[in-house]
Amino acid sequence: MMIPHTIRIGGLVLASTAFYAYVGQMVPQKEVLPPQETVIRADLSTAEMATVGRQIMEGKGLCLTCHTIGKSGALRFPDLDGVASRAATRQPGLSDVEYFAQSMYAPDSFIVPGFNPGMPTINKPPIGLTDQEILCVMAALQSLGGTPSVTLATSHAYYTPPGGTPAGAAPPTDPGQKLPLLAPGNKSTTAPQTPPPPAKKAEE
Amino acid sequence: MNGKLNKKLLFVLGPVTGVVMFIAVVMIATFLTNREYKEPYRAPAAVVDPTPRTAGLADERAAADAAAKATPYVEAEYRAFPIVGSRVAIWAIAQLHLLFAAFVLAVPIFAFIIEAIGYKTKDPRYDKLAHEFTKLLSVSFSLTATFGAFLTFMLIALYPKFTNYLMSVFSPTFLPYVLLFFLEAAFLYTYYYGWGKFHPLVHLGLGLGLNVVGTAIMLIANSWLTFMMSPRGVSDTGAVISVMDAVYNFTWMPINVHRVIANVAFGGSVAAAYAAFKFLQAETDEERAHYDWMGYIGNFVAILAFLPLPFAGYWLAKEIYAFSQTLGLTMMGGAFSWLFIIQAVLIGNLFLAANYYLWLGMGRVEGAQPLQKFIKYLLIAIALCFMVWATPRSIIATVSEVRAMGGGTHPILGFLGVMSAKNTAVNILILTTFMSFLLYRRTGKSAVVPWAKIGHAAQLTIFAGVALFVIFLGIYGYFVEATVRIGLSVPQVSSVLFAMVSITLIDVFLFRGAKKTGEVRWGKIPAVSQYVLIFIAVTFTWLMGLMGYVRSGLRQHWHVYGVIRDNSVDAFTPTLGFATQVVSWTVLAFFALIGFVFWITSLHDRPEHQSATAPERVPHTGGPIPATGMARHQLGGVSGTHQEPPS
Repeated sequence: MMIPHTIRIGGLVLASTAFYAYVGQMVPQKEVLPPQETVIRADLSTAEMATVGRQIMEGKGLCLTCHTIGKSGALRFPDLDGVASRAATRQPGLSDVEYFAQSMYAPDSFIVPGFNPGMPTINKPPIGLTDQEILCVMAALQSLGGTPSVTLATSHAYYTPPGGTPAGAAPPTDPGQKLPLLAPGNKSTTAPQTPPPPAKKAEE
Repeated sequence: MNGKLNKKLLFVLGPVTGVVMFIAVVMIATFLTNREYKEPYRAPAAVVDPTPRTAGLADERAAADAAAKATPYVEAEYRAFPIVGSRVAIWAIAQLHLLFAAFVLAVPIFAFIIEAIGYKTKDPRYDKLAHEFTKLLSVSFSLTATFGAFLTFMLIALYPKFTNYLMSVFSPTFLPYVLLFFLEAAFLYTYYYGWGKFHPLVHLGLGLGLNVVGTAIMLIANSWLTFMMSPRGVSDTGAVISVMDAVYNFTWMPINVHRVIANVAFGGSVAAAYAAFKFLQAETDEERAHYDWMGYIGNFVAILAFLPLPFAGYWLAKEIYAFSQTLGLTMMGGAFSWLFIIQAVLIGNLFLAANYYLWLGMGRVEGAQPLQKFIKYLLIAIALCFMVWATPRSIIATVSEVRAMGGGTHPILGFLGVMSAKNTAVNILILTTFMSFLLYRRTGKSAVVPWAKIGHAAQLTIFAGVALFVIFLGIYGYFVEATVRIGLSVPQVSSVLFAMVSITLIDVFLFRGAKKTGEVRWGKIPAVSQYVLIFIAVTFTWLMGLMGYVRSGLRQHWHVYGVIRDNSVDAFTPTLGFATQVVSWTVLAFFALIGFVFWITSLHDRPEHQSATAPERVPHTGGPIPATGMARHQLGGVSGTHQEPPS
């Protein structure tokens, strides 16, 4: 029996679309949820900040979408393994904290040789980390080849915490010190943000 | 006898249908009236004495009225669409609108070019072909507008706050858009219904106007959607600073270029599918010859536009990276990276099918055998490139397999999953398909120019040189820094373009006045070739659906990336499996609708209804027949004698 061409054509269209839908089922299936707001308790210790910071790096901060940890070869963006030791000496006059802050608040100010600009401004949308979240990320970065030292009271050129000392002054000595103005569970930025210094010319 | 009986039946059927419909209406009305709520009958009281219950009910009603009046107006942020949800509803409607819009924009482009060729060569068959393509437009245009209106209403109903924002940003573009839409309708219908009614140059002018206006409409609509992906001209909080900047955002121009090319490829493939549909239903050799030629031209247009499409894609991706590295990496290295493996399967299928069609087409040319021996090498090259392109960077593996491989990437195959390998593969694929075209082009011909040998050698040298250069750059990319590697795609693309242009130029002069070694026997092609054309159209449509998804889904939980956040229940990015299901259902809906368009269009060729008293239609017995779909003004003239379409 001869099958009418119209039926054959319908069958072909159906089979082709079904095949492509099947191919779609064969690749890894992952549902990407919007980033969760991280709750930064005011009494977080530096070690806890490093843990929270690592979670932010893997989640809301999207850091590990581009950066790798412990990879070598032809990379698109700098590898973060051992970044703590490099950060302190990367730019003359900038401590590791100030370098990290500059990398996140004004990323085009300095470009690591061999790479293209591409880092987004981390405290602005679409990533939009809060100042406290950025401090946690700094703690996590310090833990990569160094010892974390930042606290939620740490100031830098782009942020002064409520009741904290402006950038340049000595950071608090007690890493576990509680912040009087930040209630437990507070996740919002409470301090006005210091305007960033004018961007310096990229080295490349 | 049958005719008379049919006429009597028809005569009776009309009044009977009327009576049945009348009875049905009366029954429905009675049914509804019987079920209408009625106050129960109460015997009238001598004195109306309001009871406390009546007063209480009146008070309740008054209180409810007062509360309703006191409620402030609150704009809904989102509304839910039943069953499938708002996102899928908008997704499907937007995709259907875009598919029809792409078709409506593309067909006039190549119809205009074919008509112009017909005018220039004075060959009426081109004019006829252009008219046949145009026939598909009027129903498609109505469907495009219907889906456009549907999409707008759905956006207003389901995403009122976001739609309101988008309208506030782009309000200056709406009036020009509507005016252009009117103009497009005017041009389109004048172009279609005016076929053969005007001087050819005037008609070509109408075609040009239709294309210009259609493109302008697309440019405006593109500014809205690209703004959502790469916003510009607004503050961090979304306040409008410059509408011009909002229009001319990072991805606007790359999307414009990409869409024009993709629309032509898609439109060509759907028009070829129409020709295949007609070919398979054809009853005469003449019809088969005509629709074989039409299918060939449609497919030629599709593949010709398809070849530069990856280059436009590179540019678009580059601009996405320039706007936001995060967005670019989400696309290529994040949630959507596996989508490009699916894309590789689709594009690989397109290349394979397009080449297969060309190889089958060689069979319709006498004396093609010497060239057919090259097909196996082309097939090997295509298969290898396809395999490289479809190789993922990281492989789904068990823990023991990962341990055995020493990581998530395979020690050997992992090298094929990076951009250096994939760029090389796609460029070689393009070159190979181009070679298939060249082989097809020269079947049944022999170059007679005195420099023929040198010409052939030059073509071969360019082809081999460029292929080696592309492969060299691909390998070199593994040994250099990212900054250098990214830039290598430019010389790869440029060299392939150079090869295509220079080899074609040589070919044109090489085969000028060529000796014919075999005739093209249009219509003498296996029926399977027509199914290949339909498969190509389905694959193109599916590919457009998939790439539309990635362009839109890339924003993830943002309506306008980085500016207006998606707070709806659909703010998550679905799995690729779910996305491909939505794409598949939409593609099926599109083909159901385009089947309707084909059917409506084919009514044009049906014989007119004849009364029973008229002589019955005599089947065609081989004499001169009017060619199918011939413009009315040409009937009786050129079409009276069938001519083979030109090769």
